[in-house]
Amino acid sequence: MPIRSVMTRLALCMLALPAAAGAAAAQPGAALVRTWCSGCHHEAKPGHFERISVIRKTPEGWVMTLFRMRQVHHLVLTDEVHDALVRYLADTQGLAPSEAAPARFALERRPNAQDLDLGPELGVMCGRCHSLARVALQRRDSDEWLKHMHFHVGQFSTLEYQASGRDRPWWQIASTQLPPELGKRFPFTTTAWSDWQKQPKRELAGRWIVVGHVPGGRDFYGTADITREAGGDYRARYALNEAGGAAIAGESHAIVYTGYEWRGRAALGGRAVREIFAANEDGSRIAGRWFDPEHSELGGEWTAIRADGAPQLLAVLPQALRAGTSGRVVVVGSGLGALDDAGFGAGVSATVVRREANLFEADVVVAADAVPGARALRAGAAAGQLIVFRQIDELEVRPAYGIARLGGGKLAPVAAQFEAIAATRLPGGALLSLGPVAAEWSTVSFDEEARRTSDDKYAGQMDPTGRFLPAVAGPNPTREYSGDNVGNLAVLASVKDGERTVDARSHLVVTVQRWVNPPIY
Amino acid sequence: MVRPSRIAALLLAAALAGGVTAAAAGDLILTGAKPDRLFVIDAASRSVKSEFRIAGANGQVGTIVPSPDGRIAYVLVNRMESIVGIDLADGHAMFRADLSTPGERVKALFAFTVTPDGKELIAYEVPTKLLPSEYQVEEPRFAVFKTSGGLKAKAVRQYPAQRRLHMLLMRPSGKSFYALGFDLYEYDVQTGKLLGTRGIQKWQLPAHSQPDLLAFWPVTEPSGVFTSPLYSEAQQGAAAAPMTALMSLDVASGALDYRDFEPLSALIFSTVLSPDRKTAYGVYSTLTKVDVEGRKLAARVPLDHTFYSVNVASDGQEIYIGGAMCDVGFYDAASLEKRAMLKLPGCADQSVASLRVIRTH
Repeated sequence: MPIRSVMTRLALCMLALPAAAGAAAAQPGAALVRTWCSGCHHEAKPGHFERISVIRKTPEGWVMTLFRMRQVHHLVLTDEVHDALVRYLADTQGLAPSEAAPARFALERRPNAQDLDLGPELGVMCGRCHSLARVALQRRDSDEWLKHMHFHVGQFSTLEYQASGRDRPWWQIASTQLPPELGKRFPFTTTAWSDWQKQPKRELAGRWIVVGHVPGGRDFYGTADITREAGGDYRARYALNEAGGAAIAGESHAIVYTGYEWRGRAALGGRAVREIFAANEDGSRIAGRWFDPEHSELGGEWTAIRADGAPQLLAVLPQALRAGTSGRVVVVGSGLGALDDAGFGAGVSATVVRREANLFEADVVVAADAVPGARALRAGAAAGQLIVFRQIDELEVRPAYGIARLGGGKLAPVAAQFEAIAATRLPGGALLSLGPVAAEWSTVSFDEEARRTSDDKYAGQMDPTGRFLPAVAGPNPTREYSGDNVGNLAVLASVKDGERTVDARSHLVVTVQRWVNPPIY
Repeated sequence: MVRPSRIAALLLAAALAGGVTAAAAGDLILTGAKPDRLFVIDAASRSVKSEFRIAGANGQVGTIVPSPDGRIAYVLVNRMESIVGIDLADGHAMFRADLSTPGERVKALFAFTVTPDGKELIAYEVPTKLLPSEYQVEEPRFAVFKTSGGLKAKAVRQYPAQRRLHMLLMRPSGKSFYALGFDLYEYDVQTGKLLGTRGIQKWQLPAHSQPDLLAFWPVTEPSGVFTSPLYSEAQQGAAAAPMTALMSLDVASGALDYRDFEPLSALIFSTVLSPDRKTAYGVYSTLTKVDVEGRKLAARVPLDHTFYSVNVASDGQEIYIGGAMCDVGFYDAASLEKRAMLKLPGCADQSVASLRVIRTH
């Protein structure tokens, strides 16, 4: 391209600020891109914009792109236009459900998740700075992946100098080997995407049955009444109950991108909650993770099925009862027929005390001599199980390896939530999981070096729910070299089971702040 | 802009407690700090002699190269896109090369040097073409400026360079300079001809892995020798042991040497060689003393916190440490005892700024 032409277009970039900003968000998507992006992203042919029309991304991916356009390239956008652009781009240049599936953990911001394994080369070339999930949640052809490599070095000039970058001819590899490989792995044009584009998008309005879990806390269940608003967004009204606890009411406003990516902002029991869910392809299930907007590490699971869907037993709460005890068991699901107490098997009796379309509550009595194991449970055509056990034989702390980050000042600390998962050993020797149980929590220094530097004294502390609360960041003059309050700790869980105590441990690294926290790490 | 450092003088009580050595008399220490500061420290009195503000530093002050006559400090600022020459007598900018242009962003990734006659400055340039909707990585080059070029200096010569260089070191002859990167390169100052390549990654140390070296502190003034730690794994039977070596490059003779001095037991960011060339000192969270001839660790003491940069007094009697945070430390070269710690006014981070010594006696 002649220099003069480049300069002219650079000048046009600076001027691409439409006068009638207020009404812009009402424009059709392509017109929005034309208005707000084409000053720099030339419309080479109608509706085809350089660098934009050749990339597919998740909603979060497009949010990150627009963040960069605002932050680095000083694009002035109202939030209204920003949101409209994200909707349009995610809808027309998104990922099919099957394409996003392997890396959903990154969209859901699951703490302590194991990243994708894309082989040693990509693991170092890309994965040393950001997750490989971020790579796998984009689609480009090789020529566009090559431009992406140019962007990397152009934007992050020390990239070739950093550890695991300087040991190899990074640019040479990035500009020759990677683009064809990435173009092959994650191409722009796929059958999955073209099929998904053709498929009519499912209407998600209706009554849904919900179950979820709060790590370190309780399971919950209830209903979500989802309605479609005039503008096309969804509103969900929640009526939930903690298992064995209080009722929680809430409401969510959600945008569904790409026909399945549910992004909600909810108030639940007075708490702000962010929802990252996905509807499955036939629109019969919505599942994902919700979390505290300020602490994405603190959140839980979420699954919903249609109340009028096919017979399905979604949850039995609690999932296990001890022989010789009794308790209230809640069974939730869709298409529930009569609860068949014979299904509990010998030694277990159930009296239904509440019956609703999608819920049973039963008082269950487990005889002292009931045989331990999983008991099939039926409610008409819907089937599930209840576990009978005598004792806790094994305990496992999850995650096996957790990370917490120091905080304070500009950045909030990142906590680490642990859970103690109990298991019983059946007469045949097999272990049967009983799910999370309450435990006594503590931490100790992990190894000799951690004991030498008294990491357990500095790094933070556990709360009674298994949540590790890290200490304040910054040089600590009382530590060696004025070191930060980092620590290498063992997490200990202890459960009293009658006269016995069952223990387990896992590993926690308390490390420094992460200063760059994009929606997809 | 000049800012006499009266406030700084008031902050020196603690530093002065260490006492003033006659040995260090005459040394001026240069260091930089965020967002735009250049400090001139009188080593003998442990006091800030001058605090200069560099216009257009854009939040970052990095590599510092003094002119051979010690009257000017050339400083890399503006996210490595500008080199400014500051007159150390009064702090005024007498040279400025803004490397980037509207269509091209150019960064001198840490690396530039000045000819022995002080007349030319050679910058390593890593350019990126800025097109309307994309960046294009371009091949690196050297750009030569006349130091008399004023505040809008333009390159008078350019020639191709290797990728991933991080330091330039002028040879005393003024005919060629060294460039450190994947390997050690030597270029002709006038023509840019690549005169030679010697191993860093391609070093010839038997039974050693490819080493790792990254250095931003072009310190040669005490001894005429540049040194840097470098790390590798040495094969010992079936096992590979991480080792710390000292690289030394005599910029006059060209002698290049690598020698392991300890199994890796402490991280060292940068080193300096004493004027008698017998001892090297390294810093990070510890201050390390290396017996160069004996190829062994001689002593190590913990530091109050992390320091990135190190230098040594002209007479070799005292070690100066800086970088990272806002302290400049003075340590006894023989005992490694702390003699004084000077807190820079405003306590701004020095980060990777060079710690350079100008000898005035």
